[in-house]
Amino acid sequence: MILHPGIVALLGSSAIVNMMMLYSAFAGLRIIRYWDSKSSSALQLSLERRTYLLSSILSFVLGVNLLGLFLFIYTADDLHTQFVGAMCATGTLNANPIGWWVLGMKLVLFLFSAVWIFLNYLDQRTEDVPFVKKRYALLLVMTPLFVTEALLQLRFFLGLRPNIITSCCGALFSENSGGIASSIAGAPVRPMEYLFFTVVFLYLIVALCFIVFQMDFLKYLLGGLALVFLPVSIASIISFISPYFYELPTHHCPFDLLQGLYGYVGYPLYISLLLGTLFGLFPSLSEFFKGRSELPLRRWQRLWTTAGGISVMVFTAISVYPMLFSSFVLEG
Amino acid sequence: MRRHLFILEFALSGLCRRRYKNLALLVAYSLLIFIISSILFLTHALKREAELLLQSSPEITVQRLMAGRHALVPVDWVDTIVSIPGVIDASPRYWGYYYDPFTGANFTVLGVRSSEFPLKGREDLDPEDCLIGSGVSETGLLRTGDSLVMVDPEGIARPFRVAGVFSTSSSILTNDLVVLKEETIKRFFQIPEGYAVDLVVRVANPSEIDTIAKKIKEKIPSSRPITRTEILRTYESLFDWRSGMVLSMFIGALLAFFIFAWDKATGLSAEERREIGVLKAIGWDSSDIMEMKFWEGLVLSSLAYLTGTITGFVHVFMLGAPLLESALKGWSVLFPSLKLRPVIEVYQLMVLLFLTVVPYMAATIAPSWKAAMTDPEEVIRS
Amino acid sequence: MAIVLEDVTKIYNPGQPNEVHAVKGVSLRIGKNEVVILKGPSGSGKTSLLSIIGCMSRPTSGRVLVNGRDVAKLPERFLTEIRRQRCGFIFQQFNLLRGITVKENIMLPLYPAGVSLGEIKRRTEEVMDLLQISHRANFRVEQLSGGEQQRVAIARALVNDPEIVLADEPTAHLDTHLSEEFLRMISEIKGAGKTVVIATHDPLVYESSLVDRVIHMRDGIILEEGQ
Ligand SMILES: Nc1ncnc2c1ncn2[C@@H]1O[C@H](COP(=O)(O)OP(=O)(O)O)[C@@H](O)[C@H]1O
Ligand SMILES: [Mg+2]
Repeated sequence: MILHPGIVALLGSSAIVNMMMLYSAFAGLRIIRYWDSKSSSALQLSLERRTYLLSSILSFVLGVNLLGLFLFIYTADDLHTQFVGAMCATGTLNANPIGWWVLGMKLVLFLFSAVWIFLNYLDQRTEDVPFVKKRYALLLVMTPLFVTEALLQLRFFLGLRPNIITSCCGALFSENSGGIASSIAGAPVRPMEYLFFTVVFLYLIVALCFIVFQMDFLKYLLGGLALVFLPVSIASIISFISPYFYELPTHHCPFDLLQGLYGYVGYPLYISLLLGTLFGLFPSLSEFFKGRSELPLRRWQRLWTTAGGISVMVFTAISVYPMLFSSFVLEG
Repeated sequence: MRRHLFILEFALSGLCRRRYKNLALLVAYSLLIFIISSILFLTHALKREAELLLQSSPEITVQRLMAGRHALVPVDWVDTIVSIPGVIDASPRYWGYYYDPFTGANFTVLGVRSSEFPLKGREDLDPEDCLIGSGVSETGLLRTGDSLVMVDPEGIARPFRVAGVFSTSSSILTNDLVVLKEETIKRFFQIPEGYAVDLVVRVANPSEIDTIAKKIKEKIPSSRPITRTEILRTYESLFDWRSGMVLSMFIGALLAFFIFAWDKATGLSAEERREIGVLKAIGWDSSDIMEMKFWEGLVLSSLAYLTGTITGFVHVFMLGAPLLESALKGWSVLFPSLKLRPVIEVYQLMVLLFLTVVPYMAATIAPSWKAAMTDPEEVIRS
Repeated sequence: MAIVLEDVTKIYNPGQPNEVHAVKGVSLRIGKNEVVILKGPSGSGKTSLLSIIGCMSRPTSGRVLVNGRDVAKLPERFLTEIRRQRCGFIFQQFNLLRGITVKENIMLPLYPAGVSLGEIKRRTEEVMDLLQISHRANFRVEQLSGGEQQRVAIARALVNDPEIVLADEPTAHLDTHLSEEFLRMISEIKGAGKTVVIATHDPLVYESSLVDRVIHMRDGIILEEGQ
């Protein structure tokens, strides 16, 4: 293992988060078993009080998660000098491919905690907290994922040895080596572009239709599209969006965008991507979990859909900007 | 939105009202951030220096291994190496370490040929002249025109006239350096004719460095070619490792602080409990109290973070990290007034955040929840 | 505002050796613009009942109807919401926050209510004028006399324009003059159309002419009601 301040920070925060999640799961279990919103017993009262603590903990976990996602990429980037052949974060992740899983898990866990916080927010606005049990059941599903992620991360860092010979963006995302990453990068640009713009177009159309006509099936369609939008966009960033920013047809790295050299454009790009995904999911999730609450869901769902549409437009605008305004042309 | 601002404002006024309690916390917190930011800034700056240093160093250095230790290199290896395709040239280097018994410092002594002579405005270095780094100049109180006295292997003291001092702003590279003419250093260290300390190899295409290093090893099995990136990697892992070590040494301090913070957050005074009870009775919700506590933590953290990083910055880049010198630099006794180039990246700040603010906020969640659960009935009853 | 209590009980530490039945099956109706006294010796459950009426704590069993809506089992944050909008409390010790000004003390209940700063200031000035403490607005509360502190405490209870004002032993630490002063202010509050519930065992208060009803409590039950 490499003893590096970034690694110490990541492992430390993951230990804290996991302790909190384990505690929350334990408390969640009690809530699932004993929660009875009709009772005013001492037990119910203490459970209700406990929910304040758990909301706080989960908000904290969400924040640490989001920051941790970027810190992880940054750390991988900072470590790349230790490996032969690595030129950026990609090289470090390749030095011990578990790293890719860790990154993926971090992304998924971020989405999970954001959804949880969202449901919590809705729930607290109702008098009968209709989905409190579902919510804590979701927490029970999340906890093992958190533990897995922490263990994978530990294995990733333990398995990193200086001087490992690795391959980096150049090789990984080059068109003639095996693997998923390279097939994404090597995928013909035109079809990928068509796919991306189709998904974006559908997302926006469905969002608009929902805002105008408010038909129920549209929100589920939107939720589905949001789930497709995320992977397609990531693949598109690797395939054809990032080369435009680098102005290099062979440079497909999804991480370098986060660097100052490219004006930190990665941050608005990825944040609008995450927001677009989440807001696209909210209308269907809230419908699914709403129970018999009397929330002004209709109005809110329109609001979220609008926010999702705006995020997707921002994301697309940032992606398209260099294609329109730079002299660089990527051949398909 | 407004209510968050009002709660923030009230949290601020609460911090001011309990300023003595919070001041102690703030001082401890800032001190911790100061120490950790100093470690991070210093490591990062040293890594940067090493990187810059190596940019000007040769792509491949060839040493000779004899009985598992490195020995003087025969100069005729140069011909063998130059014959490898892709090599521009190879040349012998003469250098060594010198322990100065008068000041107890270690100097790096380097021999130069007239062609690579670094002094501006003058044609050549006389055989009895030397150039010294600012570190050497300071420890020996030497200025241009003075003489530096070094004792040769036979115990004879030899004076060298200081022809120039490298400016303070240059890096580690020149700090402990004494530059002599090549013939002078050979004589001084009594290096046998036909031998050099090592060879440096210049390569035309950087992407061929590794292949050429391999070829040298094949052609001359007793050689040890070291590439530039290899050295860089070693340096970096050395620095990371050291700072990791130092950080781990501070884990005790970190824990102690977070326990202290926990304790401060848990140990509400009777007055504070009463206040929280009153607030709840007059219409504040538990979540409002928790938000107030959150703001308190955030404001304290931000203040401590600012103070800590700014003092850390001053400590490392303006004062030369006097408090961490021995712990991190460590390879040479001689490091008087090395001025590091101020480099800070978002990354360092983020790591710092994760090492200090994140655990602090984590430590205060449960206590602030406990505080927020104060029963308002208690207040009207008393 | 009408508040109806149906068979309300309050048990502290249920199931434990130190279990206390503070309120035992109380049914009660408090009408709009009434001044109601809860009278009884110490330990008879007045404070417990008062805090249930004021939506500050939930009963162990029974129903509490506020304008016809049962609030006994609402989650805490909704109870807080109701308390914030409809109730104003005056405590036995004034329980003002030391170290901040009179004005800030009075503004406090409005902070989490989500109203604008202009509105907060307007309402604060209004109640300060009403209680004639505007000249003390920027003094810290510990610089004030007992009488002035009392006014500040009442102003704070009125700033959210509550429908019901609750006071727990408000005159316990006051001399006769200040107690009478207090009653005068209560009559003004009543005049403003508010409901007032006072827990007390001070004859000066419960024998006052502005009282509409006196509810006599002992050991957690209502003994009798009188005029
Ligand atoms: N938090 C508590 N835990 C246990 N017992 C309590 C608690 N609060 C009040 N009591 C008990 O409940 C009874 C009623 O108290 P209270 O309502 O304060 O009466 P009063 O206000 O008339 O003096 C008393 O016997 C008191 O000791
Ligand atoms: Mg009492």
